[in-house]
Amino acid sequence: MDIMVDAAPQAPAVRHQMRFEGSGGEYFKIWIVNLALSIVTLGIFSAWAKVRSKRYFYGNTYIGEHNFDYHADPIRILIGRAIAFVALLSYSLASTFAPLLAALLAIGFFFAMPWLVNAALRFNARNSSYRNIRFNFVGAYGDAFRVYIGWAFLLGLTLFTTYPLAKRARIRFNIDNHRFGGQPFNVEITGRALYSIYAIGLVIFLGFVIGATVIAGALGTIAGASVGTAAKSTGMGAFSIWHILILVLFAFIPLVLVPFVGTKVFNLAASGTTLAERFHFESSLSPLYMTWLAFSNLLLMLVTLGLFYPWARVRTTRYTSSHFAVTGDADIGSFTSELVAAQGAIGEEVANFFDVDIGF
Amino acid sequence: MQGRYFFPLSARFVDAVATVNDDHMDIATRDGTALASIAMKSVRISSRLGAIRRRLDFPDGSSFDTDDNDAVDMLLRRSGLLHRLEQSWRLVLVALVCVGVASGAFVLYGVPAVAGWLARHTPPSMTDYTGRQTLQAMDKIALKPSKLSADVQKHYRILFAAAAAAAPRGASGYRLLFRNAPLIGPNAFALPDGSVILTDQMIPLIKKDEEIEGVFAHEMSHVDRAHSLQRIYQASLVPAAIAFVTGDASQIGQLAAVLPGILLQSAYSREFEQQADDDAARQLRHMGKSPAPLADLLERLEKKLCGRKDGCGPNWLGSHPATADRAAWLRAH
Repeated sequence: MDIMVDAAPQAPAVRHQMRFEGSGGEYFKIWIVNLALSIVTLGIFSAWAKVRSKRYFYGNTYIGEHNFDYHADPIRILIGRAIAFVALLSYSLASTFAPLLAALLAIGFFFAMPWLVNAALRFNARNSSYRNIRFNFVGAYGDAFRVYIGWAFLLGLTLFTTYPLAKRARIRFNIDNHRFGGQPFNVEITGRALYSIYAIGLVIFLGFVIGATVIAGALGTIAGASVGTAAKSTGMGAFSIWHILILVLFAFIPLVLVPFVGTKVFNLAASGTTLAERFHFESSLSPLYMTWLAFSNLLLMLVTLGLFYPWARVRTTRYTSSHFAVTGDADIGSFTSELVAAQGAIGEEVANFFDVDIGF
Repeated sequence: MQGRYFFPLSARFVDAVATVNDDHMDIATRDGTALASIAMKSVRISSRLGAIRRRLDFPDGSSFDTDDNDAVDMLLRRSGLLHRLEQSWRLVLVALVCVGVASGAFVLYGVPAVAGWLARHTPPSMTDYTGRQTLQAMDKIALKPSKLSADVQKHYRILFAAAAAAAPRGASGYRLLFRNAPLIGPNAFALPDGSVILTDQMIPLIKKDEEIEGVFAHEMSHVDRAHSLQRIYQASLVPAAIAFVTGDASQIGQLAAVLPGILLQSAYSREFEQQADDDAARQLRHMGKSPAPLADLLERLEKKLCGRKDGCGPNWLGSHPATADRAAWLRAH
């Protein structure tokens, strides 16, 4: 492969913009029909519904004139869900009737977890393709164990001060183990950059907490005064305000902080990613706009009793796609057409019994 | 039909035309150069979905994709059933009604029935454990040892024992705990293991013994009907159901689950309070007493907490039904 990469002609850099061509109305019809079928079949059809949904989003996502494809066999997903369901059921039965067995099962799950993470990532990657070339995921058990369990322990020991480093380990594990036509992805991401993102998040959070507390304190005093001496003696006037404050904080974290920080981290990781050292990815999402999307989506879903959900997904995907691009020193076409040998017989391996999509 | 032919296991493609001749599919470039000929029975054709491209996969790892969905359907001599369902607005409407009815039934009957069944089948050891854990957590966060004198405590213990003797589990099925709770204020609550906690702040509000007997009967009903366990099960059933409905565990789905979950929980909780009032009234009458003093105490409590007679906030957010309604209902029974 190296020879081929070196021998590639030096073409000017070409920027390929990603785009999403699905529509909310079209996806709504697909979603509601599949949902009704899932309910009527007591959940069995949900595996087919999942595949149709993923196919819709992959099939409408384009780079250049080509779209992505999702190939998963719903039966594999159904088997995976059945395994997960049986595992969950036997655990809850065991915890009721045989606590010792339940403890053993819990230990078993603990050690199976890294394997499950790998299996799910591999299943998704192998069933995804672009231009007739499949993706792959080659994460090893030991690495998954280190990243998902080792780092979790370390986080506890360091009182979460190493959270950005743990996040970096996960990003690296996820991206560096992905392959496209046998070619590796690679992400360069500095701990310093991640630390500064989380520092900004912390400052925003503390600012919000202090601001909200001051306002709540002021309101509490007013409410206390109007209620009169009865409320003051027990502090109840202020209590209901504190109650609301906790609810507001509870909403602030998923609605503002998670989308804001998450978007910045995504931009950083995507923009630090290369494929085969020749293609650079770039994501230029606006954290504020992503926060607005999350907030307005939630609001519209509440108003419409959840029926806005398909439009929420479509508008989010359309925005994220339109801010994602690939730049390379050659046309993707001339590059990917070199990927004949590396493709191998991956399709056959997909039929491996253990290649099932575990989890919901 | 027009499309693109991808060479075996390759991203290299040419614009091509596919035609079917008897039991074979022939692929050729636009100017007529033959590229491949494949037995029709070994061609895997993706099902029609929205307006996305159709993929024809061939056994040697080559493929053909096309935007001409209608031509592929003609070739198959049928269009996909699912696609037809997804196209027709009439069927979409049927699906919508079906989902609406199913969600409604799940919320109204499914969740209470499943949570109730799970609560009834939870072994006592689990119930006791949950009760202990909850008390420990509350003792750490909001509760302090009671400052009531031994005489006052004894007085209420005697009243409690009398109420317990008339309740389904009998005198040994419940226990009364006193706690000082400046953060919570005047209140009484039940834990799954039969513990009933009375806060010191409640005592000054009680004018007659009959009032607190009503409170005890109300809390004992919560214990008997395992309301706090049911609440735990409901709290996990509702988000799980919403995750199932939205079909993905993405952030959008998770976010969408939070607020409806809270609203539903309060609605179920109001139902529990109604049941407990109902049981309390019945038990009080059984003891030859009137539920009216409980109504008096509820109103006094409300006045103390909110300064008004008509509730602290909008009813659909509350965990309890409106006090005025509860009091009126209790007096009528």
